[in-house]
Amino acid sequence: MRAARWVLGSALLVAFPWIVAAGLPGQQRYILHVLIFTALYGALALSYDLVVGHVGSLSLAHPAFFGLGAYAAALLATEAGWPFVAALPAGVAAAAVVALAVGVPMFRLTEHSFAMGTLGFAIVTQIVATNWVDFTHGPLCVTGIPKPQVGGLRIATLPAFYWLGLATLALVALLYRGLTTFRLGRAFHAVRDNETLAAAASIDPLKYRMLAFVIGGAVAGGVGALYASYVGVLCPGELTVSLSVNLLVMIFLGGVGSLRGVVVGAAAFTALPEVLRMAPTWRMVIYGLLLLIIVIRAPDGLEGLLRRGAALGRRRPSSSGA
Amino acid sequence: MSDLLEQLVHGLTLGSLYAMVATGLALMFGVVRLINFAHGEFYMLGGYAFWYAYAELGLPYPVAGLAAVAAMALFGLAYERGVIRTILARTWHVQLIATLATSITLTNLAIIVFGTQPKEVPTRLSAAILDVGGVRMAWQRLLVLVAAVVIFAGLEWFVAHAKLGKAMRAMSQNREACAVVGVDVQQVALATFGISAGLAAAAAALVSPLFNIFPDVGALLTLKAFAAVIVGGFGYVRGAIAAAFLIGIAESLAAGYVSYAYKDAIAFVVMVAVLLVRPQGLFGRRIGI
Repeated sequence: MRAARWVLGSALLVAFPWIVAAGLPGQQRYILHVLIFTALYGALALSYDLVVGHVGSLSLAHPAFFGLGAYAAALLATEAGWPFVAALPAGVAAAAVVALAVGVPMFRLTEHSFAMGTLGFAIVTQIVATNWVDFTHGPLCVTGIPKPQVGGLRIATLPAFYWLGLATLALVALLYRGLTTFRLGRAFHAVRDNETLAAAASIDPLKYRMLAFVIGGAVAGGVGALYASYVGVLCPGELTVSLSVNLLVMIFLGGVGSLRGVVVGAAAFTALPEVLRMAPTWRMVIYGLLLLIIVIRAPDGLEGLLRRGAALGRRRPSSSGA
Repeated sequence: MSDLLEQLVHGLTLGSLYAMVATGLALMFGVVRLINFAHGEFYMLGGYAFWYAYAELGLPYPVAGLAAVAAMALFGLAYERGVIRTILARTWHVQLIATLATSITLTNLAIIVFGTQPKEVPTRLSAAILDVGGVRMAWQRLLVLVAAVVIFAGLEWFVAHAKLGKAMRAMSQNREACAVVGVDVQQVALATFGISAGLAAAAAALVSPLFNIFPDVGALLTLKAFAAVIVGGFGYVRGAIAAAFLIGIAESLAAGYVSYAYKDAIAFVVMVAVLLVRPQGLFGRRIGI
């Protein structure tokens, strides 16, 4: 039953471009565009939740890794003519290497200091992206980033990008699942819930924090590379601190540390501005207030509501049966 | 030579600004163990309050400055009652995200209300140039330095001798013991936020004639002030003040002799360098105001 639902759901997701084309022919481009952003944001939010939700390190450096991957891949593709299949791994590797190098001093800091230190790193990265004009083109942006080409397949149409985004999200979700369950996942949670106890059980907190930080950064770099190739233009404005705030809204809206919650949060977050249709500054005011209300009133997010709903649903039939 | 001295004067001005903001952060951390990520926005709002009183209402400079301080002190009290009190018992994750959310909300509200165009508030002192043996600076910079010295001396006296200041110091050492001996811990926390926000507004009223006022000044300022707090030894106010001047001078020398575009990265580089060598900060010791 469960498997059947999964197959049906996946088939629906894969067939979505045709469904939209048949049902809402005029809106297809717009809807697919929103869905591509949803998939990319979902993957990015999952990579962020690895760090925040599973090892409990409140990093604000994620926009920097996203930007590093995006800039590395975009510049290699436009300046050096690298094909997408080489530029994407290069973006991932660049983000991973920098995450490793930044993580070593940063993890000497704890709690607030770690958050502030990573925020500082993110701001410095943006300053460099804006001011190193010879290399990054600064505010003139990197333009003409080629569309991905995988083998003989050129991914240029919206449905093709949609499938690529969906595949990315699925891949990242699998990785997230694999890292956060099993023995590794339990080690992550031990470090998050009680660092001293974890260390006493010979689970080295630094090692697991670094692992989550570097993998999260690498995935963010990969998503950044994909994002750059989809949008075609890359500006320093993509790396702002507000991206961290967006990611925090997504994972807290959905439910920290939960695969379903984070994906639902990312989808709700991407759909929200389309529904609200307002100026970007008002949007950020609403996100800020939303985040404030969620962390104070409902720290489990939508996932907490879903779980409570499911628990209610289970209780009723069993009580009537007894 | 005079060039170097001018950069040093600029560094001292910046240092005064960072020190006033960092002092507020350190006081709040000392008393309620919370880092207020929205503290740079207090400075920003203080700047707009000053601009409104000075440029729009046409009040004289000292009156407008004091009005801004009073307005922001009230804002600090409201912030403590409305936001901080609801999150004090929660984990540091929640506290950090809540104050960060406040910071984003305030910045974008300011963009909507005041626009992104910087507000210029030149005063007679910021236009007049003082020339000391070839070293030229605006009189306003001298005012900033003198005011900073007066404010920090006043604060020092306040924390050492006033009843409220003593209570703040006691709370930074042991909150439970304070409650046991009858210190009204909530009132002390409330007053701390009022004082810290007022300090940020005082900084804004003093340096805005030199630096202009714009909505997204807060994030970088919070970061630099926090770097000063870390470098100075967490929650130790005198250490934070010293570190703030160090960062201000380093930044202005870097802007003058290395690269203007990368000056904002300096505070961060100083912070990381210090933490690698001395994780407890330059003047690190056990926590306490």
